[in-house]
Amino acid sequence: MMLFERIGSYFEMVFHLASDPINVVVLFGSVLLGIIFGAMPGLTSTLGVALLTSLTYGMDTATAMVCLLAIYVGGTYGGSYASILVNIPGTAAAAATALDGYPLACKGEGGRAIGLSTTTSAIGTIIGMLFVVSISPIISHFALQFTSFEFFLLAFFGIVISGTLTSPDLVIKGWIAGFLGLFLACVGRDRLQFFPRFTFGIPELDSGIEVVPVLIGAFGIPQIIQVLKDRFQIGETQKFQKILPEFGTIVRNIPKIVRSALIGVGIGAVPGIGEDIAAWVSYGAAKNTSKNPERFGKGEYAGVLSAETANNACVGGAMIPLLNLGIPGSPPAVMLLGALMLHGVTPGPMITFEHPTFILEVASILLLASCAMWVSGMLLAKQVVKVLRIPPPLFMPIIGVLCIIGSYSLGINIFNLYLMLPVGIICYFLTEMGYPIAPLVIGVILGPMADENLRRALMVSQGSFLPVFTRPVSLILFILIVWTVVSQFQFFRDFKDRLGEKLRRKKRPDLSSMNKDLKHNTNRVAHNRQRRRQFS
Amino acid sequence: MMEKERLRKADIFVSVLIFLFGAWIVKQAFKMPMKDSWGGVMNVWFVSPALFPLLVGTMVIILATLLCRTALKTVGTEELVRTIRWLLSRHVIQYLVSEPILRFYTIVILFLSLVYMNIPRIDFFLSSILFLIVFFTIFYFDDPVLLKKLLFLYLAGVMGFVIYFAAGLDSSLAKVLPYASDLLALWFILAYCFYAWILVRSNPKLRKKFRTSLVVAVSAPFICAPIFKYFLLVPLPAEGLIVALLDRIWYLEF
Repeated sequence: MMLFERIGSYFEMVFHLASDPINVVVLFGSVLLGIIFGAMPGLTSTLGVALLTSLTYGMDTATAMVCLLAIYVGGTYGGSYASILVNIPGTAAAAATALDGYPLACKGEGGRAIGLSTTTSAIGTIIGMLFVVSISPIISHFALQFTSFEFFLLAFFGIVISGTLTSPDLVIKGWIAGFLGLFLACVGRDRLQFFPRFTFGIPELDSGIEVVPVLIGAFGIPQIIQVLKDRFQIGETQKFQKILPEFGTIVRNIPKIVRSALIGVGIGAVPGIGEDIAAWVSYGAAKNTSKNPERFGKGEYAGVLSAETANNACVGGAMIPLLNLGIPGSPPAVMLLGALMLHGVTPGPMITFEHPTFILEVASILLLASCAMWVSGMLLAKQVVKVLRIPPPLFMPIIGVLCIIGSYSLGINIFNLYLMLPVGIICYFLTEMGYPIAPLVIGVILGPMADENLRRALMVSQGSFLPVFTRPVSLILFILIVWTVVSQFQFFRDFKDRLGEKLRRKKRPDLSSMNKDLKHNTNRVAHNRQRRRQFS
Repeated sequence: MMEKERLRKADIFVSVLIFLFGAWIVKQAFKMPMKDSWGGVMNVWFVSPALFPLLVGTMVIILATLLCRTALKTVGTEELVRTIRWLLSRHVIQYLVSEPILRFYTIVILFLSLVYMNIPRIDFFLSSILFLIVFFTIFYFDDPVLLKKLLFLYLAGVMGFVIYFAAGLDSSLAKVLPYASDLLALWFILAYCFYAWILVRSNPKLRKKFRTSLVVAVSAPFICAPIFKYFLLVPLPAEGLIVALLDRIWYLEF
């Protein structure tokens, strides 16, 4: 009965949102903007969400969420345009799409590839949305049992896992980035005793570092510097004819789509891991399970659909920990968290009590955004592709101006700009040195949560760490953290290999001893035969 | 990202910096109340505001040490000595004035001058137009010779503005001439455009690029900034000559 009630209120919410003309205009506008951001190499959906956050400041929460989720969904999908038509991924999430999308475009099937990516992206988003609706109440209920120790460990786990999985070079660098983010979160007066930490007597730092300008700087400035310094050029786009929804291909590949969506949701739910990893894992899985793996990379439709379904399903997956635990599942979700805080919504286990319909609202917006994305993709793809002709030196400086006015407008504080620029330049150096940015920004976001909960937990336990081992969830999280860290070191891998070898030996009898036994038995048989002959 | 070998060499130096940074965090954390009274509350170690920074600082130190060890293992001491020798040689200067690095300096100088000098003092529209026109002409022209010439002109202008603001001429001039800083910026934009036009006038391809740059540089702030100023009602960081002009038009019409 409760399920039907929930489904009923969900559709009620969908119609309520869709019946407001302002919402519809914002929805289509943001999706289109997202597609443009995604399509343009050098711009990402994270940057799109970051820049749009400043524009949503004056909107009510529902319209702001329509705006931000629509650009997130559109941006994740839009990356496929450049991947398919130019062989340059518009976003990292669409890198796997380029492997088969571009060969298809070269064969003259670019329109079909874009059609397929549009439909599968919409399906991926819808499947992700279904998980948001169905899993959220369970996680939320479960999270209500969490105490300060669990929240501290959860925040810590988020930083560690994000550092581990997003690092393009050594894992240590991912962790360092995470701890640098935690340091930034320490700046300002601490929330328990209001002691000023690392403020250097600057009054603007007393309230801590403003999250959104830091995020805009961290994602925007390095991107601008990289594109302009390295003379990034967009090549010639492949021509394409009609864009078809490719329902036939989709029906033939339903199991693959479901599997890709599940991969996307699962990876999206892991803190800090973005759409790019989901797309690659899904592509790998599709290739490994295919009857014709040799066709992948030469223009296989399954390659395009697996990557595109997974990266858009990741959007829904990233919403699950964001809404229920307050831990962002992907870099754009970090921005969404910042935006939600601006609008007075604090995601976490209490969200179902403080804003009972909020999760349903988010799920409804995801459904509407996927429909808007499908319509825009089918009708406007040819026009959107024209933005690929704009040279990067012409649009990147404008993004710079938008970063500046956007950071300033949040709080109308010029100090935000003074903060944003150094953070951006430092993040550029970190990126060049192979440090991922996602753990850093997650550290900035989760730092206060980790700090407060650690001290609160120790206050309750009078300085004892024993509850970490006596509380089941804490223990699981602790083991996960230790496992994630230790498993990255060579000594642990060697130990694991040796242990595995020993176990294998125990399971299978030793071959050398078997040979000895066999020899012994053969000798005995031969000896007996000889004796028998002698007797006879 | 750099290639692996260069990255490892750089990792050694960066890890030392990160180590020092971690040590600084720990040092600062020890200055925070650990057992003393703060705001009438007697501290114990587990409630102290120093606890979390200490944890962060210690972790940064440990990770920096691990990174240094890994990088040293990969690079080897011989290669490290060679790198240090290279860093002390003249080749470093050659590297520091190479074209990609020059492009990097240009971007950073443009952003620094916009954020720390122009935005708080000069009308937002004018500072944005100046920023965009310099950015476009330098990077859209994509010519190393032009880059140097235009950058030097811009740097000269920046130096002039620094002296102008540091000497307090802006406030004394403003008493005599309203919007003095804005007029100065406008004059500088015109001078810069004139110089850029002289440089490209013999090349039809660059001339076309110059026209495009000019149109985009002027139109982009007039599209973006009014959204914030008139629709979101966000006052711009510095409102001067152009904002006053736009205000007149906006409030006359609506």
